[in-house]
Amino acid sequence: MGVLTFIAKRIALYFAVLFIGLSITFALPRFMPVNPIDGYIGELQSRASATIAPEGLAELRKSLEELYGLQGSVFEQYLAYMKRVVIDFDFGPSYTYFPHPVSSMLAEALPWTMGLLMTATVIAWCLGNTVGLVAGYFYKKRAASILEFVGILLYPIPYYILAISVLMIFAYIFPIFPLSATFPVGDMTWAKVGTILYNSLLPGLALVLAGFGWNILSMKALAIATSEEPYVTFARLKGTTHRTRMLRYVFRNALLPQVTALALSLGVIFNGALLTEIIFSYPGIGLIMRQAASGGDYNVLYGAITVSIIAVATAGLLIDLAYPLLDPRIRHK
Amino acid sequence: MNPFRQILLASAVGALWATAATAQMTDVGTPRNETLIVQTFDGRSSNATQMNPLNRYAHWRGFRELGWSYLWEMDTSTGESYPELAVGFPEVLNDDHTKFRIKIREGVHWSDGEEFTTDDIIFTIDTAFKYRDKLTNVTNYVTFLKDWKKIDDYTFEVETQKPSYDFVTRMGVYTWGSHIVWLPEHVLAPIGDEIVTYNNEKPVLLGPYTVKEYDPNGFWQLWEKRDDWERSGWGNLGEPTPKYILYKDFGTEETRSLAFVQNQYDIDTFMSPDTIEAAQKRNPAIETFAPVFPFHDMNDACGWGVYFNLQKSPYDIKELRWALALSLDLQQVGISALNGQFKSTALPVADTPVTRPIFHEPMRDFLTNLTLSDGYKPFDTSFNQELVKVLAEQGVDPEKLPVGDAIVDSFGFGWWKHDPAEAEKLLASVGIEKGSDGFYALPDGSPMVLEFVYPADWNKILQRLGFSIADSWRQAGFNINARQVDNGEFNTYMRTNARFQMTIAWNQQCVFNANWRNNWRQWSPEFVLPADSTDADQRLDGNYVRITDPRIYDLVAAGATVPTDDPKMAELGRDIQEIVVEEMYMLPLMSIPTTIPTNNTYWTNYTKADNFYALPYSWWSSFKKTVVNIEPSGK
Repeated sequence: MGVLTFIAKRIALYFAVLFIGLSITFALPRFMPVNPIDGYIGELQSRASATIAPEGLAELRKSLEELYGLQGSVFEQYLAYMKRVVIDFDFGPSYTYFPHPVSSMLAEALPWTMGLLMTATVIAWCLGNTVGLVAGYFYKKRAASILEFVGILLYPIPYYILAISVLMIFAYIFPIFPLSATFPVGDMTWAKVGTILYNSLLPGLALVLAGFGWNILSMKALAIATSEEPYVTFARLKGTTHRTRMLRYVFRNALLPQVTALALSLGVIFNGALLTEIIFSYPGIGLIMRQAASGGDYNVLYGAITVSIIAVATAGLLIDLAYPLLDPRIRHK
Repeated sequence: MNPFRQILLASAVGALWATAATAQMTDVGTPRNETLIVQTFDGRSSNATQMNPLNRYAHWRGFRELGWSYLWEMDTSTGESYPELAVGFPEVLNDDHTKFRIKIREGVHWSDGEEFTTDDIIFTIDTAFKYRDKLTNVTNYVTFLKDWKKIDDYTFEVETQKPSYDFVTRMGVYTWGSHIVWLPEHVLAPIGDEIVTYNNEKPVLLGPYTVKEYDPNGFWQLWEKRDDWERSGWGNLGEPTPKYILYKDFGTEETRSLAFVQNQYDIDTFMSPDTIEAAQKRNPAIETFAPVFPFHDMNDACGWGVYFNLQKSPYDIKELRWALALSLDLQQVGISALNGQFKSTALPVADTPVTRPIFHEPMRDFLTNLTLSDGYKPFDTSFNQELVKVLAEQGVDPEKLPVGDAIVDSFGFGWWKHDPAEAEKLLASVGIEKGSDGFYALPDGSPMVLEFVYPADWNKILQRLGFSIADSWRQAGFNINARQVDNGEFNTYMRTNARFQMTIAWNQQCVFNANWRNNWRQWSPEFVLPADSTDADQRLDGNYVRITDPRIYDLVAAGATVPTDDPKMAELGRDIQEIVVEEMYMLPLMSIPTTIPTNNTYWTNYTKADNFYALPYSWWSSFKKTVVNIEPSGK
């Protein structure tokens, strides 16, 4: 199979995944026992201590059906949705926050989510793999056990407990960081960048600690297995240094599964970090999706899930396309 | 200096600044001792940039409390309306009570200096009517008004669609704020048709505060007092004390409590009793609404109750409904779910200082003498005394328990007896008896599974309450299928006949004063749907208990022709309640316990049980009374 055929097939598969994903995305919220109009009316009544006249609600219900585009058969709605999303990449207005456009809600939230999660995921991956590699390569040494202990200690701690502990230590007992973030408004300046970094350090630390442990344990296991391979023994007999063997023989070969894991992790960051946003009062897409799911806000769910599907599918595509570059065996095949 | 160093330096300076300056300055750069800081009601807002009141706006950010002003406001300590933008009350122009002339005050100015006139009023109503099918927040007054016209700059007339003895609260404030928010014509008229999607991010307002800054991510909004606050819509109430008011979300209850202990903010909302107690131990400046049980405010306009689908079997059986009432151990439920911090009510109206003389005191004899068909008297007047006794036995500090007449003030007049044996007798009379599995079965011997739906963690107190109620009923032999649901499903469930069976809710018990029609006008045949209706266009828009009793319909209709301050109005309200109670059409439980702890470090003289000048809710427009009455502590 030629390279071009391989790439063409892989890209065709990519679009097929997107099509199926978008169709499932359209159907799923409609199976929920939630009607977005009831959700809006219920909240309107609740915040008004039930003082809205029932005749007013009846009129509002009719208006909302039109405004939300919920009239017509489900198939007609499906066609309109596919046309809007595929051709215009427009998800329409949020139902709950009508007429606020979904694309604008996502555009405001995604940079925060991506900035925090991408950085934290990459840092956790780099640190975890470095520690795991050293612990795995030198697994017979006492220091390696200590490093592994760090992984074993951190990995099983539920994220919520970890995050609250970080807050208690660094924002309450030693009030170095704020308990809840306050981001300044206005133009982007260096001072503002500094404040954003300062307010992002605690949530970032909690995320790094949460992702760190798994990377240590995973890389350590891979490094131990790889260091027992005959080609590593051969390299040792050739007189290569520990450093060379660890980095060029063990690390390179143990890296592939970890790269896959990293790519998939980066793909799912578009789902947001709901707990991080709630605990640290940090902006992002997680809370928006949570509110949309509970209120039946189809359009926001479509928008957020579509972005996520595209991200995961693209991550998969890139991994597949990049593997031949990383691994000569695949390239040769 | 290179950019990387600049960022590092800024971060370090930020950290030092935040650590060193927390005592003097707020996170948004205002002096702490000039800033009242309030935890937002709904956490983070997802539409912080939306400030156009014609659509769903970022409503928990202080607009209705600080930014807007209404024709008539409600004195929430007395339940009486008072003029705010209007001069006095409306002049009624016809016998049908459909035509009104209203005068507004001269000299009221918008925050940009323009005078507020009837041009703004006419523009607002014109706009709402013109775009009524494209706007999501005007429905209440476009279905209420029929005609309107300007007489002069300070006088206008309106005609309503139906006789409107409750005109003042329909066009002004009944409880939380007004449905009608006046718009500045000089600012918004040039926008034209774009008004339906216009965000109004730099709003020109009538209140004494303006939006100084807000977080586009929706975590906070800062208000600043106008220099010309005296010319604002409610400047005549007195000078608002704080120069700045910050609404901010401090996160989860865990982080909120830590921030509250650190004096980072002044007024919280819906913190759980356990957390408040823990915070008070670490910071004595934190106070509850009352120093004794039940500690928290119990004067919300609505109450909590169990609602049945009266159109569906077996909930259409009166004896079953009464059996559920008598099988519920409310004392135990209240202690396990709310630490005993609740105020019971057997009537479908919360027991408050406003409603007590109108409904609860006059109906005390009715409740005491109420007799079921078998001669049984179900009302327990010793409920509150027993509750005090149980709390004392559980080790509650006696100084924190009410004594004498205060017991009734704290815990209400009483509730239904906990008598599962009488419940069993009532059920047996209609052929419902316990099967071999210990659960009640239907007359034909098939299992009687009752679905009971209650909020999941989006309303933690109701979640706990719902769980405890289900448990209490199970112990009495009812096979309860208890389901916690998200708020979206909760709203759909309650409005769909084919789904709805039984739930815990509040929207049928929102009577704040003698004007009960504001809530119960929905008990009308026009809001009844077929019992099995499921289609999207057949969802209920009122009457969620599905009342079909013609006696109640007649009383509700009669109330439409009675002035709200006429004693006859209260009498009709009592008659309705007698039927609801006798038939057990719903099972009222208690006032909504609203926990609003305050922190005295920077501000004092909040409204409290022993200093009651308004309801303490920071999300009701009556919060303006707090803003005017609080005093700086001097720190």
